[in-house]
Amino acid sequence: MTTPATAVDATRVSTYCYQCVAGPDLLTVRVEDGVALAVEPNFCATPIHPGAGRVCVKAYGLVQKTYNPHRILAPMKRTNRKKGRDQEPGFVPISWDEAFDTIAAKLNAIRATGVLDASGYPKVAASFGGGGTPQSYMGTFPAFLAAWGPVDMGFGSGQGVKCYHSEHLYGELWHRAFTVSPDTPSCRYVISLGSNTEASGGVVGVKRHADARVRGMRRVQIEPHLSVTGACSAEWVPIRPKTDAAFLYALIHVLLHEQPRERLDLAFLAQRTASPYLVGTNGYYLRDAATRKPLIWDRQRNAAVTYDTADAEPALEGSFAVTALEIGPDDVTLAEGELRGETSFSKLAAHMADYTPEWAAAICDVPASTIRRVAEEFLAQAAIGETVEIDAERLPFRPVAITLGKTVNNGWGGYECCWARTVAVALVGALEVPGGTLGTTVRLNRPMSDRIGSVKPGVDGFMDYPFNPTDSKHWSPRPNIRNAYRTLVPIAANGPWSQALGPTHLAWMFLDGTPEGLPEVTFPEIWFLYRTNPAISFWDTAALADKMARFPFIVAFAYTRDESNHMADILLPECTDLEGLQLIRIGGTKYVEQFWDQEGFALRQPVVEARGETRDFTDIATELARRTGLLEPYNAAINRGAAGISLKTERYDFSLATAIPHSRDEIWDAVCRAASAEVTDGTASDGLDWYKTQGFRTRPFGRINWYLYPALARQGLRFELPYQERLFRIGQQLGRRLHEHGMTWWDNQLAEYQALPAWKDFPGLWEKALVKMGGKPEDFPFWLVTARSMQYAWGGNAGIQLVQEVAANIAGHGGVIINAGAAARLGIADGDLLEIRTPQRATRGRAVLRHGIRPDTLLMVGQFEHWATPFARDLGVPSMNALVPLSLDLTDATGSGADLVRVGVMRVGRSP
Amino acid sequence: MERVAPWLQTSWDHRAAGNFIGGGTGSGLAVVAATSTLWTGEVPRVPLAAAALAIALGLALVWLEIGRPWRFLHVFFHPQTSWMTREALVAPPLIFTLGAAAWTGGHALATIAGVLAIAFLYCQARMLHAARGIPAWREPAIVPLIVATGLAEGAGAFLILALLTPVGDRVALFLAPAAILIRSYVWTFYRGRLERHGGPAGALNALAVIDAPLLLFGTIAPLSLLVGALVLTTVATPLALVAGAAALGAGWTMKGVIVTRAAFNQGFALPHLPRLAAAGKETGARPGWS
Amino acid sequence: MTHWVMVADLRRCVGCQTCTAACKHANATPPGVQWRRVLDMESGDYPDVRRAFVPVGCMHCDEPPCMTVCPSTATRKREDGIVTIDYDLCIGCGYCIVACPYQARHRTDRASFAYGGRPSEPEAKRFDERRLGVATKCTFCVERVDDGIARGLTPGIDPDATPACVNSCIAGALHFGDIDDPHSNVSVLLAENRHFRMHEELGTGPRTYYLWD
Repeated sequence: MTTPATAVDATRVSTYCYQCVAGPDLLTVRVEDGVALAVEPNFCATPIHPGAGRVCVKAYGLVQKTYNPHRILAPMKRTNRKKGRDQEPGFVPISWDEAFDTIAAKLNAIRATGVLDASGYPKVAASFGGGGTPQSYMGTFPAFLAAWGPVDMGFGSGQGVKCYHSEHLYGELWHRAFTVSPDTPSCRYVISLGSNTEASGGVVGVKRHADARVRGMRRVQIEPHLSVTGACSAEWVPIRPKTDAAFLYALIHVLLHEQPRERLDLAFLAQRTASPYLVGTNGYYLRDAATRKPLIWDRQRNAAVTYDTADAEPALEGSFAVTALEIGPDDVTLAEGELRGETSFSKLAAHMADYTPEWAAAICDVPASTIRRVAEEFLAQAAIGETVEIDAERLPFRPVAITLGKTVNNGWGGYECCWARTVAVALVGALEVPGGTLGTTVRLNRPMSDRIGSVKPGVDGFMDYPFNPTDSKHWSPRPNIRNAYRTLVPIAANGPWSQALGPTHLAWMFLDGTPEGLPEVTFPEIWFLYRTNPAISFWDTAALADKMARFPFIVAFAYTRDESNHMADILLPECTDLEGLQLIRIGGTKYVEQFWDQEGFALRQPVVEARGETRDFTDIATELARRTGLLEPYNAAINRGAAGISLKTERYDFSLATAIPHSRDEIWDAVCRAASAEVTDGTASDGLDWYKTQGFRTRPFGRINWYLYPALARQGLRFELPYQERLFRIGQQLGRRLHEHGMTWWDNQLAEYQALPAWKDFPGLWEKALVKMGGKPEDFPFWLVTARSMQYAWGGNAGIQLVQEVAANIAGHGGVIINAGAAARLGIADGDLLEIRTPQRATRGRAVLRHGIRPDTLLMVGQFEHWATPFARDLGVPSMNALVPLSLDLTDATGSGADLVRVGVMRVGRSP
Repeated sequence: MERVAPWLQTSWDHRAAGNFIGGGTGSGLAVVAATSTLWTGEVPRVPLAAAALAIALGLALVWLEIGRPWRFLHVFFHPQTSWMTREALVAPPLIFTLGAAAWTGGHALATIAGVLAIAFLYCQARMLHAARGIPAWREPAIVPLIVATGLAEGAGAFLILALLTPVGDRVALFLAPAAILIRSYVWTFYRGRLERHGGPAGALNALAVIDAPLLLFGTIAPLSLLVGALVLTTVATPLALVAGAAALGAGWTMKGVIVTRAAFNQGFALPHLPRLAAAGKETGARPGWS
Repeated sequence: MTHWVMVADLRRCVGCQTCTAACKHANATPPGVQWRRVLDMESGDYPDVRRAFVPVGCMHCDEPPCMTVCPSTATRKREDGIVTIDYDLCIGCGYCIVACPYQARHRTDRASFAYGGRPSEPEAKRFDERRLGVATKCTFCVERVDDGIARGLTPGIDPDATPACVNSCIAGALHFGDIDDPHSNVSVLLAENRHFRMHEELGTGPRTYYLWD
């Protein structure tokens, strides 16, 4: 007898889904007789959740995920000493005791001889899936890692190179924008360069954009293929891949050179940006000799004054003779006395003069008239002069935004796109004000949970930013981890997220050859893997799998067998989404479109009993701490806040005794009590039982906190735009440091540090890489790109039948999308089996003929080509990851690459 | 796989086609046999028996196709509107009277069987017509087409059986050309209407593919052979046999194609695309249609 | 009178298939059977191309061709417009499947499960032998609607009385309600927006409305 989902007697258990960064979604699961039956929205969350309590399609895979017969349900050990794709691991079940004994023995041996190896790298490494989402499932494991000490978390599985990398780093520098979003609830016009919001914006993004469309918000989608977001946009503008910077430059050109100056937000530029700062002939700010503060030209006094002169009337444009210092890299005074300085804004205008729409049209394959029209619409919609009241504060209202998608905002050209985007919105004053372009979270600045609180005064009137040092005293050629982010990427900072935001592919590449100047890159003695499958999700997957096979000891927290844990020595089965327990922060401003009117906490709780011998991650972490003698620092880390909230503050104390192990429920009960106290300002201290029945607890989060502008205005700070004097200086210093140590292999990357970035032939870089691989561009005429699959992204759910079934309704999930006209010319019919190849690698997939893609572009949705993951390995879906090379040439200064590769196509089979 | 443009229905396969073939030929044969009875005064027992057998075989094929065969009695529950129920209601008396007429040689039984057979054939035709999800079936001209081809098949079958058994063949010699001609005309009419009104491209293609062969082997060839049989009396029998087989085969092919290969469903269409903040064109979309 | 209808706002739908998945959960349909799904439609030629997402399923027609052709009276239409199938009457002839111009009906003859021949615990718990060999389709979650009404809830407003697909829709594209009530959510939407019904020319009177402007 079928039980309809309507049965009122079934138990609904509340929990959350945080499988992707666009979460968390709050949901309920219907449970009958201890069996999870169906996922439903949590309508109790409707009043507090911007997505009305609805839950993303991925969460509906969780029931099958729990009962998947392919799950690893007992600890396993490898019996085949040989590792490799062609080697059957011979996993056999073992007891948890044996598993812990084996791992603890390795760890204790390491502790006995030192946690760093001869090169200075941590002997223990750990890799987690993208965007920090595994942290919402790994319980107190972060406390174990904190207790352990140095851990190399720089072996990427996609993060750092396949993310919004330039946006993450430069975004945080310029406006605390690890991710960037329109202020969708009130925005009127969005220029989206490949930003695939309808696939990646999560429940909140989808809901808000749907509301906005119906309200009349116009979005112009500029991308090589007509994505789901393009489908939901007012206009699709096909653009040649990797030429987005040219489009944006032309847009800025129109604003600066084809429109009356007074149409721009001149007040914003003068007061809230560095536009009036005077730049000397060497490219550095002219500074006041006494205070070393940058100078501006005061039109009232007709004299130069420091930027922070209260009553100054800054000149936005012009060249002025002033008495000043010009200080270059390494604090060297390049010039002093009577110097000529040009405003940053004038330098910008001159820089953009040649980037006309006609110039861009030839590069982007977009008509100049379209670029011009979009620029004019953008300007017209910016509503310069309008204001709006938010939380009793009157703020500028500028309802226009520019968003960038993956491959646009990472890899070569990412810096230029992010810079141009931010400058363009600043020109109309639409940066960090209602309606405009917003950052929505910080990961490199502190505190991570308070974006507005991270706005602190830094040098030259800008926000502080934790650059890694490049001065000769503090810069080090001996990196703390193998991807060398502190040595090579100053803007990656040095916080908990920095390791994964460094050039994570370098760790992989350098395993087979350390470049000059760095300590020899070694294999870690133990590598922990959780919710990540780099053998599928990184690039050059065949090479990566080969490297993994040489890792001496891998411990994989395993859901099912997969391509990465195929190389593991120990598999540990942990409770999955519906079995484990954890409390996380929700609301406030988080990734993508997740900026809420509430903030607080939500509980993930066991909806059903743990299956097999799976264990909760917290219990695993506690046991590892116990067996490695780290119980004290482990519990101390939890007390400090490693589980998401400090257990002891001035207002409350729920801290755990540090000498003894605590059960999962004891730990999370304390965390829940602290959370209750925080949310209620100390009036409540409800524990785990309360959250189990209520699911979540929040308090209002003022909308004023969505916008950085008020915090900057309050502190008299400016956005560090448009001129990048600091980056230019840092680049110069970094170059000197590297060269001092004989490191010239990073010189191409050093060229990115330009104060006003010039257009470079970005597509040409990929063509050169093709030639270097031994191919001729004419033999590999297609650009292969990828697109987010909402159904799959980050879910690790390629083995979930339901997800596969519903995703198949969206074009492209079964193969490779090719333009119907291009296919006809090649004699390719829908469903034909194609081989897509580079000079080095090949992959196969079925042709999916569509009209919504450029004739020179192919599209592979998502990341597939599994060969070990049960169910997924039978899908026969291709992946671009097999084709994209790991290449220093294609690595930008932030240490990122892009999902792009030139390929050829050949039909190898007819449609069945 | 994403399916938007019309695709081939798979609910009714060759077994359903078998019912339209067996039932159509059988009922057509019964009508011709009854006509022959009225014309010649002789009851053509073998054709009557064969008709019963063909109809029963067709129904048996349907029985094999349904998901719950042991509930077959439920088929009789909806005579108010269901042409399947009506077909099912006519079938038992039809088969019974056909059998009885063949057994007893009774004129009245043969005549009643003829009348019931017309009803059965009509039910089959209306059954396809009522399948609104299949553009090639719901076309109103399908009704005369199914009836016409049933009669042409029946005449063809009668020719064959009459020549193989000692019954008069004169009726069939006159009826067959008429039925074949009418069928040919209705086929052209049917296809013309579908082309004019538009239909799933796959359905139109499937029908177009058999158009010329049908004309050649289903119309011109049997008609020529029958004329030949009238003129060349020495080889009349083999010519008439081949003509009958051609008339029969053409009908079977036609119905097989209509029920299986031309049975593209409606697919999906939008009279308007969503209007997204003054997006350019909002005119509709109808993938996969001619 | 009450007449339940579905309203799908094409401006909102993003094709995410959350409704598809939610329907599969709510109704425990076997692999490959989707009572509700979202089409990914493309029209035009490069570069003048539009792409739209269209939720489809049983339209619960005013004049359901599936009901007319059904020989067993398994398919019926309730007074409130919901077209139902009595699994105990249906003979699985498939006639309704070919009669439906919306491709909304399914028939599975053998039990099938997500991972091969053996059901998982939820699948075993929810397996319904009566659904084998008969026609199945979207029911507008009729049990939920009836149960909700019995508890004094309003379908389309209260989640516990509303079809699962509507509850799940993250874009707010799907709505359910009583078209005979001029103040209902759906009546207001239809009054305030331009809309159409699919294949309206076939005269089936579908009870699913698409908002497009």
